[in-house]
Amino acid sequence: MKRPAIMLAVALLLVSFLLMSYRVIWLKYPILPAAPEKVWQLSIDAHVKGGEKETTVMIGVPYTHKGQMVAEERIRSGTLSFNLLREGINQVGVWSGTLSLEGETIGYNSTIRVQPQRLFKTKPSTLEPYPPNVGKEEKALVKRLVAKWESLPPEDRLRRIAAAVKGIWGTPPPDDQDLQAWSAFQEKHSQLDAFLLLLRAADLPAQVVQGLQLAESITDSTLTWIEIWTGQEWESLQPEKGEIYQKPAPLLPLTTNGLPAVRIINGELSEVRWTLNHGIINQWRMHFERIMRSNRLLDRWSLFRLPDEYQRTFRILILVPIGALMICLLRNIVGFPTFGIFLPVLMALAFRNTGLAYGLGIFWGVVLIGYVVRRWIDKLRLLLVPRLSVILTLVIVCITVFALLGNKLGLREFMAVGLLPFVILTMTIERFFVIIEEAGAREGLLTAAGSAGVATITYEILQLESLQLTFFVYPELLFAVAAVQVLLGRYTGYRLLELFRFRRFWSSS
Amino acid sequence: MILKAIRWLQDVGVLGMNRRNAEYILRFNPRSSFPLVDNKLKTKQLAEAYQIPTPPLYNVIEHHGDIARLEEMLRDHQDFVIKPARGAGGSGIVLVIDHTVDSFVKQNGEVIPLKDLTYHISDILSGIYSLEGLEDRAFIEALVHPDTVFDAVTYRGVPDIRIIVYRGVPVMSMVRLPTRASDGKANLHRGAIGVGIDMGVGTTLAGVHRSRVVTHHPDTNKPVMGIQVPHWESMLFIAAKAVDMTGLDYLGVDLVIDRERGPLLLELNARPGLQIQIANQAGLFKRLEVIDKAPPEIFATPEIRVAWALETFSIRTLN
Repeated sequence: MKRPAIMLAVALLLVSFLLMSYRVIWLKYPILPAAPEKVWQLSIDAHVKGGEKETTVMIGVPYTHKGQMVAEERIRSGTLSFNLLREGINQVGVWSGTLSLEGETIGYNSTIRVQPQRLFKTKPSTLEPYPPNVGKEEKALVKRLVAKWESLPPEDRLRRIAAAVKGIWGTPPPDDQDLQAWSAFQEKHSQLDAFLLLLRAADLPAQVVQGLQLAESITDSTLTWIEIWTGQEWESLQPEKGEIYQKPAPLLPLTTNGLPAVRIINGELSEVRWTLNHGIINQWRMHFERIMRSNRLLDRWSLFRLPDEYQRTFRILILVPIGALMICLLRNIVGFPTFGIFLPVLMALAFRNTGLAYGLGIFWGVVLIGYVVRRWIDKLRLLLVPRLSVILTLVIVCITVFALLGNKLGLREFMAVGLLPFVILTMTIERFFVIIEEAGAREGLLTAAGSAGVATITYEILQLESLQLTFFVYPELLFAVAAVQVLLGRYTGYRLLELFRFRRFWSSS
Repeated sequence: MILKAIRWLQDVGVLGMNRRNAEYILRFNPRSSFPLVDNKLKTKQLAEAYQIPTPPLYNVIEHHGDIARLEEMLRDHQDFVIKPARGAGGSGIVLVIDHTVDSFVKQNGEVIPLKDLTYHISDILSGIYSLEGLEDRAFIEALVHPDTVFDAVTYRGVPDIRIIVYRGVPVMSMVRLPTRASDGKANLHRGAIGVGIDMGVGTTLAGVHRSRVVTHHPDTNKPVMGIQVPHWESMLFIAAKAVDMTGLDYLGVDLVIDRERGPLLLELNARPGLQIQIANQAGLFKRLEVIDKAPPEIFATPEIRVAWALETFSIRTLN
């Protein structure tokens, strides 16, 4: 007897689980869409002035790859046209157009989630040839300098080189002649070039990166560092001090391979500013735009594809079954009496407009007024349908008066009562009256309290933003809710209040 | 604490609401048969066909237009009862013990004018007392003059006997005694007393009043225990036959004992309440399980079923 119900519940759970897994694994949905996530808000601003010719500004911007995710990109381009271009492994925002005299302010904003543990595992670059401005002698010199570390593993080679640039060569030191030649080289070239040359000589693939330190900051220049491939991952080296960043390096790369972070053709840039701020958003927002653009079946059939004004409705609607589930729980497991079956859910929906306290107050205010009038009307001996119509009219009058009062007192909540389910109110008044007449005031008040309690709980559930979002992202969770409902439908154990009702059986024994 | 309570209830074999609904009502009572018991007029007709006595029917009022003839209908009957055909839980029932042309004495002593009575009937026709609020019919039947055996423990009104029947076998029963609080009605939720009955011999046990165990009637202060219910076996027989009549295998059968006519079938209930367990200080579930384990031959005829129940569920056997 119980079997088919359990099988149905399992099947429903399975459908729900499979659809969710599909979204998580193939469509890369966040498992907890409402979970907060630490992100960086990057904004790049600049003022461009141009000449008569067309001006082009190119600014390196972050993009989504294995170690980081970029979302919510926003561009300010004024009269200029904007394009995103790939240059090697860089992504460049290109603003171009003819500028007026006063120039144009351009900007780029995005939200970036950095996953440092995966950041530096992209595929290794091959060794670049020596730079052309390095002579044969210099090449031979650096080869001699790093020769004794040849047999060391790449990480150790890197550490030796980092120390050497600071003048610590270890033992045995290179001969004086070479050291002098090296000092001369260092004076002629920058520290950065010295590093690159030594790294090249030691067969370590390296690249120069322009980017930002990941810290709350406003800066007018980017940071330059060297990334070195040590066979397993990228290490980041601070060229001025020769220090290797602790992993994960708190750095946000913008351009690699020595490309400058900002370039301009036919114009002048001023007030270039990079701003980084901490932010916390829910995981879903990081994925939202990608899913909106996706062509996968479930993405196209996502509730997020609905027009905005309908989304609001569905966000709530999709939680109503949970409210129904609550009623199942309270009635069949606990044993609370309520007016009607779904009245508390409708009350809870109405409370969303009025707020809980006002909602409950107005609701029971109307029911009590209605009850008093209903008692009095009873003497008039009106037939059923006309009598209910009178009560309905009374309810509407009450709501209207509340709205007018609210307007005078400046209480918006009172005006929102117009959306209270007036038919439900009417029937509640009638049922309240009948229950009090037939079963006594105690029973009537108990049922009223039960209904209010369930409505409050349901309301609190409907108000949970994170639950709203989770169900909106994964509407298949409704199958899981149905599964629980099916299981509750086969619950044949005692209700909690029955333990009290039949207390004589166990308290006396 | 909660687990302990659950274990106690399980040991006694108390039937809970959820189990009653899921495993007995939904399983054994086909929806299609519900109208037979939800509509008292249909039950009456059916009972007639099965030679089960019911209170004599005087009139059926089907249309608002018929109400005008009310005076004429009542002329020949000194006392009577007005009932909605599809009323639930005793609502909408008016007992009139005496009347003149335009004033009526209700059984609680209240005197009401004719127009109150017609208003009440038109309420019934509009469906205010009917189960789903559908239009209803009202009917007028003879007032039962209850057997005097319960006079000492009845406060105005008609006591009735509820028998739970499962697969045609009487399982448990109680007498429901009206009190001042119940306004002469024999419904437990209105404050009537439920008094358990020893199935084997038909004598009353202790009673339950608003979930409390009582030994005396709260209004008359007379003991409710040890009263021999008359016509006991023939009432069990009527109850057992009611199952053949309706096809409902889990049924509450309500009977009254008229002074002259003997036991009469009042109504049937496809969703009988669970309070009867408190009145009997016994769990229904345990007894239902006993029936499920019984050999098939005991279900053969109402006579065998009653005989088996008398033996199996008597207090002597159970202890």
